[in-house]
Amino acid sequence: MRKIVKNLDSVFKPKSVAIVGASTTSNKIGNVLMKNFLDARFKGEIYPVNPKHDEVMGKRCYAKASDIPKRVDLVIIATPAETVPDIMADCAKKKVGGIIILSGGFEEVGRNDLAQKIRDTCEKNDIPLVGPNCLGIYDPYTKVDSIFLPMYKLERPKAGGIAFVTQSGAVGSAVMDLAAYYGLGISKFISYGNSTVLNESDYLEYLAQDAETDAIILYIEGAKDGRKLLEAMKKTNRIKPIIALKAGKGLGGQAAARSHTGNIAGSYMAYQAAFKQAKVTEAEGISELFDFVKIYNQPIPKGNRIGIITNGGGMGVLAADYIEDSDLELAKFSPETVKSLAKIIPSYGTVANPLDLVADAGVDGYTKSIDAMMSDPGIDALVIVVLLQTPPIDERVIHVLATAADSRRKPFVTISVGGAYTEAYRKIMESKGIPSYDSPRAAVKALEKFVTYSKYCKDIGKS
Amino acid sequence: MTLIDDFALLEKNGFKLLPYSMAKSENEAAMMAKQIGYPVAIKIVSRDIEHKSDIGGVKIGIRNEEMLRLSYRDIMQRAVGKRIDGMLVQRMARKGVELIIGGKKDPQFGHMVILGLGGIYVEIFRDVSARICPITSADFSEMMAELKSHPLLEGARGKKPINKKALEHLALHACRFMMKEDIKELDLNPVVCDEKGCDIVDARFIR
Repeated sequence: MRKIVKNLDSVFKPKSVAIVGASTTSNKIGNVLMKNFLDARFKGEIYPVNPKHDEVMGKRCYAKASDIPKRVDLVIIATPAETVPDIMADCAKKKVGGIIILSGGFEEVGRNDLAQKIRDTCEKNDIPLVGPNCLGIYDPYTKVDSIFLPMYKLERPKAGGIAFVTQSGAVGSAVMDLAAYYGLGISKFISYGNSTVLNESDYLEYLAQDAETDAIILYIEGAKDGRKLLEAMKKTNRIKPIIALKAGKGLGGQAAARSHTGNIAGSYMAYQAAFKQAKVTEAEGISELFDFVKIYNQPIPKGNRIGIITNGGGMGVLAADYIEDSDLELAKFSPETVKSLAKIIPSYGTVANPLDLVADAGVDGYTKSIDAMMSDPGIDALVIVVLLQTPPIDERVIHVLATAADSRRKPFVTISVGGAYTEAYRKIMESKGIPSYDSPRAAVKALEKFVTYSKYCKDIGKS
Repeated sequence: MTLIDDFALLEKNGFKLLPYSMAKSENEAAMMAKQIGYPVAIKIVSRDIEHKSDIGGVKIGIRNEEMLRLSYRDIMQRAVGKRIDGMLVQRMARKGVELIIGGKKDPQFGHMVILGLGGIYVEIFRDVSARICPITSADFSEMMAELKSHPLLEGARGKKPINKKALEHLALHACRFMMKEDIKELDLNPVVCDEKGCDIVDARFIR
């Protein structure tokens, strides 16, 4: 890892933070940033920097970073673009650890001269830079939060294992809000904007070694360097799964080429090819990012044979249809499993896959059928349909599913389709780490992607 | 660059093309066909014609000299008013599955190679898979498996599976060629494959 990338530790785990542009005026970015750090109970020192103030929110304010008497690990800059190069030079003099520039007004508006100055300062001094023109980072473990959207408008997710790397601040913040809403835990949020110094490949490389990160979501519009991205994805995805969403898929008025290949193969096809070569899981939309990522805390399946449990026949059939249409297959139950399942289902039912517990099945039916299928060596993963509308099903089913997840015997997904009541229960399931889906199709697709990645892990000798 | 220059550069780079010659007259075409051996195909070569078959500029399965002369005249009639560089006389390709191996230099990722269902309807079916060059043997197996037409390669409807090693060799070679010669766009189309091997029937590239 290059030194400048390794130095990102100063950005994510700083002991002291300087906020350049700190403000006493509420709703100004420099004010929201101060609040973020104070409200989140950031453990380190906070130094407001602004020549116009002596004090901001009860903290002594400095005219410039080099006036701060103690070491500064991270500097967050939220002042107009023209002022940034001088501030950066001062930061370099102060030997700060890392910098986040939130302000826009650089390459994206043609000011490559300003961008070049920033790049020179950072590269000469090995100072990692996030941005400019971005939301910066959020780290729930260290409480570093440069997202200048107020917390009451954008809820921050709890600490967990999902890292989120995004080129777009708008998509990034919306996804983070959703992650918080569904109770998904994240390890790091990185909105990298113009990627003037560090780009997507650098962040992947850093996250591959990051102890808190188990899986990575990558939202990308255009890479700085495709070849480097391919290599970074290959290396990182071997260690932890990457789920990627590419925006800008059209040919975008690309001039008609003189060959068939030229007319067919647009730039999106190159991205798709790169994702496939790196075995990166590609999502087709924001909801799929969540669908795919939330299953990765499950134990690795040994194969693709699926057992289905349902308390509503139709949902089981739909799930079975999607399985037949995928790389997964319906498992055949062993004689022992058939024997134990026969005791669970009503006398008029038959033991088959999907296993229909029928609508008057109680929570007990789930406990026993899950145990039977998890004991069957011919079943690699489970699809569990829980229709919460039926009278005998209550909150105890969540306990059963959470226990099954905690046992870590086999991976499973759950499907609950319904309105407000069901959605409320799904939220509880999600917050307990149970991969819950609102449609059979979404659940089966997520499971298929997980099985495919697991097979890749097995192929490269990683279990 | 003329078609013959293209073909020559491909041969120089180790691509095995079907035996061919460029004729400037009907008599020359008849002589060349005899040398190459019937059956042959003839194709008009003109800088004014992008897709030869669209104007009826391709005749295949020519079994003897009489057929050759008739075909030659027919094509020339259809091409009246176009600048004509000559008539390509080519050994008739084997019968088999028509595929395309192509490639392109992407501004972000550099050279990429594609495999797909070939022929004149390439852009209609768009049944292609792509990878960034260079590719491995495992990459190529995945490319084949991704195609909707994959069953054709495995020998649908009583046919034998195609020679996949020969096709793979061609795709890997196309990657090397594009990277070495810095090719912008490449079409090997159609590449006709059966259980024994593959014939490159037509090729074009842009530097």
